[in-house]
Amino acid sequence: MDGRTFFRAFRGGGGGKNGMSELVRLTEVTKVYQGGITGALNGVSLLVEKGEFTAIMGPSGSGKSTLLNLVAGLDRPTSGSVAVGGMDLGKLGEAGLARFRRDNIGFVFQFFYLLPNLTSLENVLIPAQLKGSEATARARELLGQLGIQDIADRFPARLSGGQQQRVAIARALINSPTLLLADEPTGALDTHTGDQVMELLGKLNRDGQTILLVTHDAKLATRHAARVISVMDGKIVDDARLESPERAASEVIRVRSEEASR
Amino acid sequence: MRAIFIKALADLRRRRLQATVIFLTVLFAMAAGTTAVTLMSQTRDPYQVAFEKQRGAHLQVAFRPNTDPQLIQGTAATIGASAYGGPYPASNIQFRFGDRKFYVDAVGRDNPGGAVEVLNITSGRWPVANDEIVLTRSFSELNKISVGDRLKVTSVAQTPTLTVVGEVVDIDEGSADLSSQRAWMLPAALPALSTPDSSFYLMDYRFPSDPTGPQLQTSLGLLKTSLPPGSVAGALTYLLIGSIFNITNQILTGVLVAFSVFALAATVAIVATLVTGIVISAYREIGIMRAVGFTPYQVVQVFALQIVMPALAACLVGVTAGTLASQPLLANSSHALGLAYRPTFSIGLDLLLFAGGILVVAVAATVPALRAGMLKPIVAITKASAPRGSGGRMLRHAAARLRLPRPVVLGIGDAFARPLRAALTLITVLLGVATVVVAVGLPRSFELINNSETGAGKYQVVVTRSSAYPDSDVMRVLNAQPETARVVASGGQNVIVPGVGDPVNTRLFRGDSSRLGYMVVAGRWYSAPGEVVAPAALMHDAHLKIGDSFTGTANGQPLQLRLVGETYDINNLGHSLFMDIATMASVTPAVEPFLYDVTLAPGSDVSAYVRRVAAVEPDLLDVRASDTSTIAPVKIIDLVLLILAGVLALIGVGGVFNTVLLNTRERIHDTATLKALGMSPRQVIVMVGASAGLLALVGGLVAMPLGLSLHHVLNDVISNSAGNETPPVAYAVFNAYELVLIPLLGVGVAIAAALIPGRWAARTNVVEVLHAE
Repeated sequence: MDGRTFFRAFRGGGGGKNGMSELVRLTEVTKVYQGGITGALNGVSLLVEKGEFTAIMGPSGSGKSTLLNLVAGLDRPTSGSVAVGGMDLGKLGEAGLARFRRDNIGFVFQFFYLLPNLTSLENVLIPAQLKGSEATARARELLGQLGIQDIADRFPARLSGGQQQRVAIARALINSPTLLLADEPTGALDTHTGDQVMELLGKLNRDGQTILLVTHDAKLATRHAARVISVMDGKIVDDARLESPERAASEVIRVRSEEASR
Repeated sequence: MRAIFIKALADLRRRRLQATVIFLTVLFAMAAGTTAVTLMSQTRDPYQVAFEKQRGAHLQVAFRPNTDPQLIQGTAATIGASAYGGPYPASNIQFRFGDRKFYVDAVGRDNPGGAVEVLNITSGRWPVANDEIVLTRSFSELNKISVGDRLKVTSVAQTPTLTVVGEVVDIDEGSADLSSQRAWMLPAALPALSTPDSSFYLMDYRFPSDPTGPQLQTSLGLLKTSLPPGSVAGALTYLLIGSIFNITNQILTGVLVAFSVFALAATVAIVATLVTGIVISAYREIGIMRAVGFTPYQVVQVFALQIVMPALAACLVGVTAGTLASQPLLANSSHALGLAYRPTFSIGLDLLLFAGGILVVAVAATVPALRAGMLKPIVAITKASAPRGSGGRMLRHAAARLRLPRPVVLGIGDAFARPLRAALTLITVLLGVATVVVAVGLPRSFELINNSETGAGKYQVVVTRSSAYPDSDVMRVLNAQPETARVVASGGQNVIVPGVGDPVNTRLFRGDSSRLGYMVVAGRWYSAPGEVVAPAALMHDAHLKIGDSFTGTANGQPLQLRLVGETYDINNLGHSLFMDIATMASVTPAVEPFLYDVTLAPGSDVSAYVRRVAAVEPDLLDVRASDTSTIAPVKIIDLVLLILAGVLALIGVGGVFNTVLLNTRERIHDTATLKALGMSPRQVIVMVGASAGLLALVGGLVAMPLGLSLHHVLNDVISNSAGNETPPVAYAVFNAYELVLIPLLGVGVAIAAALIPGRWAARTNVVEVLHAE
């Protein structure tokens, strides 16, 4: 491994390299929503290693957010299995899944989802407090690292979109999660602020944070992620390991175009 | 209009649970209110109807037996009476029925009719022979004596036997459970049953119009001055008897009215909370409604209608239920007054209550719904729900400083996130808990007072002697029993107290009467001859205060008395005196005790004692275990209080449930986020439960002083209506742990009620909620 990211596609249950630091494993995962004729995910298998910055791309309704929700344990697959850090999420109950998320997952949402009646600092502290730990110093440190230490006592309604998303990222990091999930983290932000947020995620990844990003913006994905997985109609249609951003962009965009024209 | 109905009905179907809450709270409030108003409007009437129908006496006066009947008859003209009855010869007799003995005032009358006090024969017939007697129905029912039963008179040496031939209702005396009773015989039968100290004449007076209390006192004063001194032995006014008849319903009505207002206030709070909550959560829907053409007024109508519809059904059922619930009490009054019971209610009044209930609910729903009407469509669509402020932040911080678990801290913050809603919820909790406090406290106060009146725990046996059996013999028999620990003997005498029109019933004790359990409201119990204690009504009427000396008159002879204490006594609505029998030492003829309160040594067999003493002289001694049971009216009031407390507590729980439900639904997005961040289902339930628990705790803590004050006030109202002041001990009926336990119980119930929305929130699918944005 190059010390930064190791990634690889894992299709059809094909083997990953034994001994690699596997973090997420999806095996033949299918998800059919109630009343749905076609599945949101159709037999998806995927392996994500620790330290990767993986972007999952696809148009609306392709199943990319469903995939993220399954990895977070927010939803359960109709069939197949999801394992994170060697833990089979299918074997966990609701309380177990909650503990799993609390201990292992940081989640960044498109619309931030800060609790409106809590200050920034309080929002950041919530996951730690749910674990029963007090982490005020670390929360302030995170706010400092994200450049928003001066808004610690402000309520979300008084923050800009960029500030809110930074608070959401700090909240996602407070418990030092093994996996950071980001669902369209720039979707509600202007381009400039979105770039800042992505820079931030990139920096976190460079510091060793595994990130699984969902986005529909190919340029954004290829600029920061080292691996881009394209999802279409509930299936992984491409899994590109990007050697360099330049190659990645053209490659991924080409694949997307081909898929779209089918 | 059709669109408004369709939309309101659709909303109603969607909000079935909230509609149920509205239905139940309005139902309870309306049922209690209707019962109260029906009782209030109808209870006064039956007595007046019966009084007119039976030509009741405005004034009844007892004269000493040595007074000339001709002179007595002349008093009617002296005081301007338009009609009179009597003078009737009368005698206080004792008779035995089974193993029990009773006292009645036997009155000699040829027939039940006349210009005044027509006796309403409800069973049997009027006496035609000297060995026949007619009893009041109230007395017969209470003591289970029927027409045809035979009574052995034990107050005269010949012990004649009388046959009960009829039962009557007499409008001029109270019911048997509250007053002494009369019986009627032919006048010729009276001499054989009379003794010199038990005879008197009874005269009834009726005036052209209903006189007031002062007018009656003036008439009585005039009457006394027209006769030789000491001729008048006692007097009774229709006002006092009316009060005795109505006292139970009056107390009950007061309690019901107070708690109906509570229930209605709680209902208004719940309706307002509910509509506010619906409007807040339906911003987007309101925007859409406006966008498709609903006017602001129509939007308001939609919201008000979905509340008014279940309220309409609740008012219909509630008014009917309340009217029905009042009927047994009204039937009871009619029965006691000898009136044929017929359903007593006013359709007009019921319609008024129905309309009033709907109006109150409609106003409570419309005011918050106006907010929906005033919303600008685009703002409503864009915002989706009302903005939330930072309400509850201070509480949350305080809770955080206490290092409470985070879900608890969050729940505490949520409880007051919307201050108006929290305040309205607190009102429902406050009223519920306060009512429970009253329902717990008042029966205990009643029990204390009942115990003081019946000597519960102070003496176990009551012995009454016939005048044919000497006091000294009774004492010898009682003192011969090894179980006898203490005997307090007592007799009675009427004493004229300056400023008080009626002669005052006075109880004269021999022995340590301070241990009989009478409650001292102020001052102290008497400790020497010449000292007296009296209830508040007598002190008030005689303008006496503790420490005052006054001169009373007994048998026309002066008595120097000093008031040393105020006691609690409901007999004659607080018009009585208590003193040592030695105070009467100078009065002739000498007063002798006839009643003996016997305290037995601990562990004694009361039944065996009663049997043994009774067997000494079966005809002349009435020996029975002390009756400490609570009188029926108090039992009714206790039951009504219990029901009201249950209803108000339910409304309180409904209020908390409603608020927690609204909060939970409104915050489901936040809850989903928290779940996404790792909050477990249990923590979600704890969060919701903490919110409910805090509301109940704050409401409960505020309610305790309110409830205690209300208990205090109701005690005073009830005591005052019986001519007394509440003894301090009747206020202090709560244990310290109960003052903590009651609000904690409220918290427990509220948390239990919050489990439903809590579990719903815990089971919410995070993905669905967050994707619904």
